[in-house]
Amino acid sequence: MTLPSERWWPRLFLLLLVAVLALGGWQWRHGAPLSANLMELVPGTDPDALELKAEQRMQEPLNREMLVLVGHVERQQAIAMAQRLGEQWQASGMFEKVQWNLQADLPALRTQLLQGRLAMLAAADRQQLIEHPDAFIQQRVQALFDPFSGFSLVPSQDDWLGLTGRIQNSQPQRGAVQLDIGSGTLIADADGKSWVLLRARTTGNAFDMQLPLQVAALLQHSREQAAQADVQLLAASGLLYAANGQQQASREITWVGGGATVGILLLLLLAFRRWRVLLAFVPVLVGMLFGAVACVAFFGHMHVMTLVLGSSLIGVAVDYPLHYLSKSWSLRPWHSWPALRLTLPGLSLSLATSCIGYLALAWTPFPALTQIAVFSAAGLLGAYLSAVCLLPALLRGVELQPAQWPLRVAEWLVNLRTQLLKRVSSPWLLALVIAFCAGGLWQLDSKNDIRQWIGAPPQLLNEAQAIARITGYQPTSQFFLVRGADQQQLLERLGALSERLEQLVNLEKLQGYLSLNQLVNLPSEQQRLRQALDELPRHWQPLLDLGVPVAALNAELAQLRALPGEDIDAALQGPLAEPYRTLWLGPTDNGVAAMVSLQGLNNPQLLRVQAQDLPGVQLVDRLGDLNKVFAATQISAAELKLASCVLIVLLLILPFGFGGALRIVALPLLAALCSLASLGWLGQPLTLFSLFGLLLVTAISVDYAILMREQIGGAAVSLLGTLLAAVTTWLSFGLLAISSTPAVSNFGLSVSLGLAFSFLLAPWAGRQRHRQPAAEPVL
Amino acid sequence: MNPTYNRHIFRWAWGLLLALGFSSLANAFDLQQLSDQLAKPEVIHGSFVQEKHLRALPQPLTSKGSFVLAKNHGLLWLLKTPLQQDYRITGKGIARRDGSGWQMLPNKSAGAEQNRLFLAVLQGDSSGLQRDFELALAGDAKAWKLTLTPRSLLLKQVFNQINIDGGELVQRIELLETQGDSTLLKMYDSISNQPLSDTEQHDFAE
Repeated sequence: MTLPSERWWPRLFLLLLVAVLALGGWQWRHGAPLSANLMELVPGTDPDALELKAEQRMQEPLNREMLVLVGHVERQQAIAMAQRLGEQWQASGMFEKVQWNLQADLPALRTQLLQGRLAMLAAADRQQLIEHPDAFIQQRVQALFDPFSGFSLVPSQDDWLGLTGRIQNSQPQRGAVQLDIGSGTLIADADGKSWVLLRARTTGNAFDMQLPLQVAALLQHSREQAAQADVQLLAASGLLYAANGQQQASREITWVGGGATVGILLLLLLAFRRWRVLLAFVPVLVGMLFGAVACVAFFGHMHVMTLVLGSSLIGVAVDYPLHYLSKSWSLRPWHSWPALRLTLPGLSLSLATSCIGYLALAWTPFPALTQIAVFSAAGLLGAYLSAVCLLPALLRGVELQPAQWPLRVAEWLVNLRTQLLKRVSSPWLLALVIAFCAGGLWQLDSKNDIRQWIGAPPQLLNEAQAIARITGYQPTSQFFLVRGADQQQLLERLGALSERLEQLVNLEKLQGYLSLNQLVNLPSEQQRLRQALDELPRHWQPLLDLGVPVAALNAELAQLRALPGEDIDAALQGPLAEPYRTLWLGPTDNGVAAMVSLQGLNNPQLLRVQAQDLPGVQLVDRLGDLNKVFAATQISAAELKLASCVLIVLLLILPFGFGGALRIVALPLLAALCSLASLGWLGQPLTLFSLFGLLLVTAISVDYAILMREQIGGAAVSLLGTLLAAVTTWLSFGLLAISSTPAVSNFGLSVSLGLAFSFLLAPWAGRQRHRQPAAEPVL
Repeated sequence: MNPTYNRHIFRWAWGLLLALGFSSLANAFDLQQLSDQLAKPEVIHGSFVQEKHLRALPQPLTSKGSFVLAKNHGLLWLLKTPLQQDYRITGKGIARRDGSGWQMLPNKSAGAEQNRLFLAVLQGDSSGLQRDFELALAGDAKAWKLTLTPRSLLLKQVFNQINIDGGELVQRIELLETQGDSTLLKMYDSISNQPLSDTEQHDFAE
């Protein structure tokens, strides 16, 4: 019953298994190599290193900072709660910095203002000093008397010309948040409440596996604490999205993985009525192991989304043992090794076609799908090897006496089909199916958006929107990347861009922007200003009239002339430069570069126009680019699908002949078409992910067509095998449809539909075998 | 650091002036009495001398003018010499008069909050005052002296002390800055028995 080679296979396989286990153990030596970074999953649109660096810099605060508004009708209550929470958070050890009030370093601010009197003076003030020195002096005199221009940070005798006051007043305002001078807190008023700003910066980032959950838990605790004092908290942070994503992923892995496992085990028990048949689950476990190890080996880590989607592999992996287990209905007595020998060619073909289908996903520009493809292909290989080498040995001596009811169900289905065909012939049915497809496709809408990747609960989104509304702080994901040969050129280019952005601000198309040229002037401008100082003594009589000693003015002038020209690095030193520091990218391979961040944008299209014909200026719009990639990928996905079909046809010509191969591939394609039409009838949009799902289902369901065409053990037994395979696969993929991530759920839905249609159409795979005996495989 | 914060501080000082007119400093007996006393007049007309003592100048920068403080409207501050310039503080913000009428001073987005703060003080938000300053009152109803020492770190970096002297009405406000400069406001000839003139009502209404 057992060939000599069959004695060796289990041992060889066990050796391989131990090796893979060892590799896996080594990979996990520093803990789970898991990642939750969403941006790793979406296509890289541009491999430019500088752009990547800029993007990371812009995203960093999103992934490390949490912004909380502490709101109460009574301002004092809100401040007190913000202070209490701030101190608690600081003590929690999770945060590098918690800020609920400003500890302004006024001496440092004064030093920066004094040092920057020439370098930081805004364009309008510069122009007045240079072109209208009389008016400039007159304004200064007025300001000295003005009871409302009041207390400058820098005392008058250190700055008779009042340059520091002008610099202070020209700095761009950000948002509607105000300083509460008593407490030092930043407060915004909205909806009848005072909202105190609380900012926290974590020690790690959102892609640590533990931190987001801890932060979310702390926030929840703080919310409850605040609610007792009738204080409301609004929070926004990438960390909260990450925490939500992780909780969701682990919930879904449990549901999908657990549900599929329980369902499949139950099915095995009900059908085969032997406890040992549960060993058929061994290939599933081995497949998971192979998949995970391969994934970490290729990518260095595994994304949680790969795990969610990968858990659907359970249903496909269990099909291999089912292939020969289901022969127990016709093969009496059933023994494991002979049953395997009988089905080995079909099994191998099935592995090849499924792998082709999965690996086709790897050619899409989506790292997420590449990971899933590698995970699944390696997983299938592992499952196949264990089903072929190990499982028969484990099942030796088991005599299967399967329940008869599944066979009766299959026979009933076969009869039903025969009855149907008696009344309506196949061509008519085909016409009906085509009509169904045409009607459905007519109603099908295509929709692609990066947001489908994020199953963010509405509460998180609402709070983020409320914060943007209350604080007026609405950062956009788009920004400008500006390059220059040197700092002079860079600042010139930033200046040119600022001029255009200023127009958008005036037209209220943009709320504001932040650019380094608002902080520091061009070296040449600084020089011009320095030269213009020589003119001032001719105009400063009004100041002398007030009693300002001429010696003091001359001393100040000498001091100003001696001020060194400030470059960007120097300007970024002081406290006023804090918001600008992220913008400076510093020296690059061929010059220097900086970013310009934007606030409150309502038309991204306008931005593209701004960058046009400005040399060195580039708009970075990752979301916009991604959505374009999504749309473009849909077409390449369709091409991939066709390419994979051609490959499968080529593969199948050998056993089934050209006609047979074509038919076997045509059925899954028709099933895919029917699924598309169903999406249309159901009013569901066609997304890139549903298309990927169909790409996959084509590969899997080729298997069903092969099973039906081989007809080992008769039509009913073959149909039963197909049914079992389809049900197990559906159990795992269909459960993906419950995912709250739209992308995953779309994927699950389209695979489910595809499987259902594949099963319905599979019997037609073998219909022509009697008419075309020439095309019959010799099996 | 918010660059417009010097405006805040400064409005604080003005707020104090007004607050003392209307607030109910619910502390000890003395403060309460003072509050009640200052809250009585509906409208105060008077003249002022403002002396800005800058450390480096031998002589203070002195300006003169008149003011109108109206309980339900706000403050008109009319500078006469050496420059002529009119200011108005109301619930809406600070305005300056130019050839074409009252111009609200650009607050950028800071305005809303500053006005809120200002109004709180105007309406006698004593809790705010006492939170940010230590209040010490000496003397009697005919001649009193109120000393405000900042509590908050931020205010301490700007003010050493604020002294307010008065009798029936506020007579003198002195702001001592940490940098060594100081501002002295002397109010004299104050009368509280004259209603708002039509022009003044118009100025507040515009």
